[in-house]
Amino acid sequence: MSATTSTSTSATVQKWKPPKLVLGNPSFHDVTDQISGIVERRDTPIWWWVALGISVSMAGAFFIQMAWLFWTGVGIWGNNVPVGWGWPIVNFVFWVGIGHAGTLISAVLFLLRQKWRTSINRFAEAMTIFAVICAGIFPGIHVGRIWVAYWMFPIPNQMAMWPNFRSALMWDVFAVGTYFTASLLFWYTGLVPDWATLRDRAKGWPKKIYGFLALGWRSGNSQWKHYEAAYLLLAGIATPLVLSVHSVVSTDFATSMVFGWHTTIFPPYFVAGAIFSGFGMVMTLGILARLVYPPVKNYITVKTLELMAKVIMLTGMMVGYAYSMEMFIAWYSGNGYEQFVFLNRAFGPYAWAYWIMVSCNVIIPQLFWFKKLRTSIPVLFVASIFVNIGMWFERFVIVLTLHRDFLPSSWDMFKPTAFDIGFLVGSFGLFFTLFLLFLRFVPMVAMAEVKGVMPEADPHHESYHHATEKEA
Amino acid sequence: MKFDSTTYTFTDKGNAGKIGLIVGMIGLAVSLVGLFVDAGQFYFSWLVAFAFWISIGLGGLFMTMVHHLTSAVWSVAVRRIGEAVMNALPWMTLLAIPLLFGLDKLFIWTDTDHVAADAILSMKVGYLNVPFFIVRTVIYFAVWALLAFLLKRNSLAQDKEWTEERARKFVVISGPGMIAFALTATFFCFDWIMSLQPLWYSTIYGLWFFAGGITTVMAFYAIVVLRLRSNNVLSETITVEHQHDIGKLLFAFLVFWGYMHLSQYLLIWYANLPEETAFYKDRWGAGWTTMSWILMIGGFVMPFILLMGRSAKRSDASLMTFAVWMFVVHWVDLYWNIMPVFHTETVVLSWMDLTTLVGMGGIFVWLFWMKFTNHPAVPITDPKLDASIKMVN
Repeated sequence: MSATTSTSTSATVQKWKPPKLVLGNPSFHDVTDQISGIVERRDTPIWWWVALGISVSMAGAFFIQMAWLFWTGVGIWGNNVPVGWGWPIVNFVFWVGIGHAGTLISAVLFLLRQKWRTSINRFAEAMTIFAVICAGIFPGIHVGRIWVAYWMFPIPNQMAMWPNFRSALMWDVFAVGTYFTASLLFWYTGLVPDWATLRDRAKGWPKKIYGFLALGWRSGNSQWKHYEAAYLLLAGIATPLVLSVHSVVSTDFATSMVFGWHTTIFPPYFVAGAIFSGFGMVMTLGILARLVYPPVKNYITVKTLELMAKVIMLTGMMVGYAYSMEMFIAWYSGNGYEQFVFLNRAFGPYAWAYWIMVSCNVIIPQLFWFKKLRTSIPVLFVASIFVNIGMWFERFVIVLTLHRDFLPSSWDMFKPTAFDIGFLVGSFGLFFTLFLLFLRFVPMVAMAEVKGVMPEADPHHESYHHATEKEA
Repeated sequence: MKFDSTTYTFTDKGNAGKIGLIVGMIGLAVSLVGLFVDAGQFYFSWLVAFAFWISIGLGGLFMTMVHHLTSAVWSVAVRRIGEAVMNALPWMTLLAIPLLFGLDKLFIWTDTDHVAADAILSMKVGYLNVPFFIVRTVIYFAVWALLAFLLKRNSLAQDKEWTEERARKFVVISGPGMIAFALTATFFCFDWIMSLQPLWYSTIYGLWFFAGGITTVMAFYAIVVLRLRSNNVLSETITVEHQHDIGKLLFAFLVFWGYMHLSQYLLIWYANLPEETAFYKDRWGAGWTTMSWILMIGGFVMPFILLMGRSAKRSDASLMTFAVWMFVVHWVDLYWNIMPVFHTETVVLSWMDLTTLVGMGGIFVWLFWMKFTNHPAVPITDPKLDASIKMVN
């Protein structure tokens, strides 16, 4: 085509500016003040005490129920033949999944140079750690005999008893253990400069505590050099964990010979679902944080939430793709058992759960095609709750595949007991207790990182702070 | 080849396209001789080569849409490479025509007696039958052609003048386009590759095909960028920073591809169900064992270790070596997936494997080069172009 000769040249190219990530035009000092202020204020807000009171009560009930569980045994749950795995495994997978968004935001989006992640990565990663703690409790208490819970670990012992290294449950121990360790290190590494900021602003005994936590950080040039290298390396190490942990969790089901569980798409399907649910939770928590700490709105902006909504829509459709592939291949396989499982899921006694799952995970995220909806805070909040409900139900649907097994005479419905519900509610109590403590005592936005993506951080920047006021 | 770096247009397109066309015509002509030598071998070789180049074309379509959906900045400078690959795709799909005459040689489910004798295959007749198969294939190709056409038209319109609506239109096309892409690419793979062994099935198979195509298209990007630079074309526009990013994506998708293979193998090995393990049993024994090892060690382990470092991606010689190697790996991957259906005992390499691959490759290079050089080599009016050129890792 000869049209090219008449086209405009590079001289007419409009100037493109990177989008502004921080609103309200704060200076570096304002950033420090706004974020540190949340931690430093002496008058703890009333809502915080109320929320903590509720959460701690729920968490307390969690531990009391656990004591009862250890005293009486796993019979207090609804787990029975044929559904030998009930809500505890559902809760385990649910919580591990929640954690994945934190790692994706902190590691994968860092490697992809997605700078909008800086405002949410601190609390998303905190969420990861707390979610993994909640998750880790369930396999621990599910063993039935808590006093031999250490058998899960390959510890040399005089009985020469070893866990089965070919068991997916053994892989879980390694995967979740590695995940927790790497996430904690990554989170803490990012926190060091912020602890030092708090230390430098504090007086008296808090200064000692923050000073201890800051590990002698002096913001020196060589310290930053090492910090950046360490951060990049940890991001590189954490990235495969985003894929591996939930892949291993998926093998808990997929390595079995249960139809509806054993299908090759399970690992990537579980990973997509995990990121989906995690982003739902980050969205819920982010919107709540904006509500209770208005200055945070400058950092977790509507744009940030919009981008998260897009990730939710994408991963929701990936999950939808996996549902469709399972359905299609179940038919295509020509395997009657496989076909039965999927028909039973969609039209059997638990069809309501299946359609809750499909509605929440595939249909609701379609709202985000519209900019108006994905920038509306109430819509985002409600949708994020649905995402969490949907993903809990996804695991419920998968586990409840067991209710109609190969032997029709053993078919039975699963009846959750009050303890099943109590453990789920209790785990939320523990999660929110930890999260509230985090909000109160740890800078919830990574101050040093946010400053790094502000225009002033650019060496070519000339007093952007003042110039933009005229522009605006 | 001569290039005007103020307008980003080629004043002399050089010989790359011509050489591609000549090699392509000769390669395909020689391949057609094979039809009379060994028709079965011809169709299978043709299918491997066809799947190989189609997967790369699909990679170009995918990368173009991802670029728009993510509002990426870094890839503005290399956007036209992906677009040219995408524009070659609809023409490449025409190479499926010879295969339509050999469906009975390729797919056992076309044999009605065989199907009637097999209870499970009889159940699949509603899906695995020739008319529906052809209709589906036409739909896949039409969807790809439509997406490529819409994106290309908007891209060229944008060259005349950049407007907000045109920038938005890319996103409006790419959003639903990505859904259409995911489904068509998956079912293309199910139809043309998975149904070669119609009793075997794997839900991850579509993702495996997709992953291999993306890995290889990144290798193609790398080769194009390095070849352009060695001819001193766009060397100030597509910098070593872009090269590094292409290398990173190559590495990332390589790992993703390995992860697909592992997920499939591990789960099938573990459950040990005969209808699933048959796939791996066919690919283990005699020469196929060697090929499996080449795929594992050469396809994943070796490049994973060697390509991880920064300098491996920033050095021209090293990235070029890996890019070419990934082409070899992708071919081995497809050969390993398709050919055991025909050569059930051991690997039998045929001259037709080479001529079909090189022949279609020549046509692909010719199409690509024609599409790439007909228009400015970068989207000249894109406001992000300047930021993309100055991008640093």
